[in-house]
Amino acid sequence: MLPNRSRTSVLVFLLPPLLLYCAAVLFPILQSLFLSFFSWNGISDMEFVGLANYVRMLTADDIFWRSFFNALVYLAICLVLQLGGALVVASLLTSLRRGRELIKTLYLLPAVISTVAIAFLFVRIYSIDPVGLLNQLLHWIGLGSLERAWLSDVNTVLAAVSAPEGWRFTGLYMLIIYAALIAVPKELEEAAVLDGASKWTLFTKIRFPYIRPVWITTTIMATTYGLRGFDIPYLMTNGGPGQSSELLTTYMYKTAFTSTDFGYASTIAVFIVIECLVAVGLILFMLKRKADS
Amino acid sequence: MKKLLRAAAVAAVAALALTACGGGGAATDPSNVSPTGEIKPREISWLLSRPADGAVINIMKKLADDYAKDHPGFALNLITTPDRPSYIQKLETLAAANKLPELFDTDATPFAQQLAKQGKMVEADKLLKSLDLYDDYRPGALDYQRFDDGSLYMIPFQFELEFIWYNKALLQKAGVAVPQSLDDIPAMCTALRNAGITPIAIDGQDQWPLERYVAYQPFRAAGPDFVQKLKKGEAAFSDPAGQKTVQWMAELGKAKCFQEGFSAQGYSDAQNQFTSGEAAMYNIGTWELPSLATDKLNPDVRDDIDFFTLPTTPGSVTAANEFVSPSGIGMAVNSKTYDPLVSDFLKFALEKYPAEYAATGALSPTTTVETTVPANATPLYKKALETANTLGEKQAMPWDTQLDPTTNGRLQQELVLLVQGNITPEQFTKTMDDAIKQNAPKFFK
Repeated sequence: MLPNRSRTSVLVFLLPPLLLYCAAVLFPILQSLFLSFFSWNGISDMEFVGLANYVRMLTADDIFWRSFFNALVYLAICLVLQLGGALVVASLLTSLRRGRELIKTLYLLPAVISTVAIAFLFVRIYSIDPVGLLNQLLHWIGLGSLERAWLSDVNTVLAAVSAPEGWRFTGLYMLIIYAALIAVPKELEEAAVLDGASKWTLFTKIRFPYIRPVWITTTIMATTYGLRGFDIPYLMTNGGPGQSSELLTTYMYKTAFTSTDFGYASTIAVFIVIECLVAVGLILFMLKRKADS
Repeated sequence: MKKLLRAAAVAAVAALALTACGGGGAATDPSNVSPTGEIKPREISWLLSRPADGAVINIMKKLADDYAKDHPGFALNLITTPDRPSYIQKLETLAAANKLPELFDTDATPFAQQLAKQGKMVEADKLLKSLDLYDDYRPGALDYQRFDDGSLYMIPFQFELEFIWYNKALLQKAGVAVPQSLDDIPAMCTALRNAGITPIAIDGQDQWPLERYVAYQPFRAAGPDFVQKLKKGEAAFSDPAGQKTVQWMAELGKAKCFQEGFSAQGYSDAQNQFTSGEAAMYNIGTWELPSLATDKLNPDVRDDIDFFTLPTTPGSVTAANEFVSPSGIGMAVNSKTYDPLVSDFLKFALEKYPAEYAATGALSPTTTVETTVPANATPLYKKALETANTLGEKQAMPWDTQLDPTTNGRLQQELVLLVQGNITPEQFTKTMDDAIKQNAPKFFK
């Protein structure tokens, strides 16, 4: 327990960042909530429409629902690549004796490259004319029948725009999980091995439960980042072809800045905020229930 | 309170955009084109969407420097965002924040018309008449900038003709001739494909090039009015002229007219395909003359390149010499910041601009000067310039400047699906007619 005076000083020092947070995060969210009750194109007078924007969004907008389901698929692919990939790589790293630093750096590299560069890089990789890396590889390994214009095919485009995001951050989450894994006390693992635990049991009963708090944090981070994913799909396909790779975020952006429908775009923004909160709530609930059981 | 909230609402988005421009002064009468008073030199800004090292910017920079010599303290701050979609977003955000600079670029879009209606732009026809320059302009160049009601709020700085460039050798190899009718194109594509040639190179990423094609059949079948009616819901894609274009676009797709994966390919990809001799046709305007009709063009294809203008169709209501002839993005003058200085500078610059512009080898929007053909030009250069002299009266408007932005966005998306064969012509027709019904009333009330 801190003495009274230092508690006051801690509170005083916490106040500026809290105010900054309110101004930069809470205020815009409230602003969006306010705007979502209006019809406004930016230059005319604002017209109060009550819940009409919400009714339109939930009942009469096919692109909204399409973007919502696309965003869920995008999230699923990102999570599998980011968390699954990170866990596998981090586990393998712990049993590696040499070259750990080099591999860590190589995996982390994509996280520091600019988004625009990544988007252009992947556009080239997926290209069919001129032949990009992916189609070339398929040709070399005898899977030429799978060659296609990945970004123009409505069946593959969503996975194609999700993969770069997953690829990009695998290294970052790997680093976090790796740090947690090496903190697992060696005595616990040794005791389990002496009791005859297999590698799988060791992982599921000792290591994973031990890193659960870190896992929850990374899951929340990856989920909220995934739900807010915007730049790579926007740069690579602009949501197309058609609405095949449209996400809620790109749709919101276009509604605001292309259609100049700021009221309706705010409604979508409010939905994204709620969606993120619900997602985080669900993760906490599920993982907590698992921990309790 | 309402004003405060409104101002706060745009503050966040405006912060992303420019901080350099703005300007004080109360709103003025947009029809008052000759403000009286003393000329007080200051820095003025022009928010534009043109290539940073292009002729328009270079010339205006030079003219501004010349003007500043006699008016110390004057400077023209040119802020360019050549990428059109980003530019439009910046423009709309600044308009919403009421922070538009002295001069800004815009097409004759429904959004610009709303700005004009609110008295935020100076009436360009009155302005040009007061400067005694109105009659110098090509009527077509001014018409391109007009709103539907005939009012003029933008000043053109270019004049371009759009052609279908083609490779004679590739056409010959496939045993096809220049199409006599738009309806011949699908069969022509099939023949080219059978000969292993990509029929048409297109920049799918930017979306407007494909949208050009949807305008062609209705322009021939029903004239320039079709899109004016369509955008307001007075005509529909289910009408005969609409159906003609929908079916034609689907046929173009079925005949694999465009390169594979075109929707993810950009401007330079398409141009490279054509200039490297891979693709037989390429639909682009005279702004590309320096790369298509000079010795910069790949020597392997240089002698094989030619162009034809938009083919007609049987029963066409528009003539062969009428096609897309845009005068580029226009420049609007902010009425709020319009003062003796802006007026005086515009007079100075607009008088001198055409001669300087024509000297670069480009077609001037005025008829008072003759374009200099560059020394490294191929014979095609002159032929392209001369086509401007035989131009008819009606012009095909690009649809992306006509439709309301939401419908336009949807059309661009659905067109790709139609051409790729992902949706049927019936689905396309229904989606688009519904989109117009839903979005047009808000914009064209």
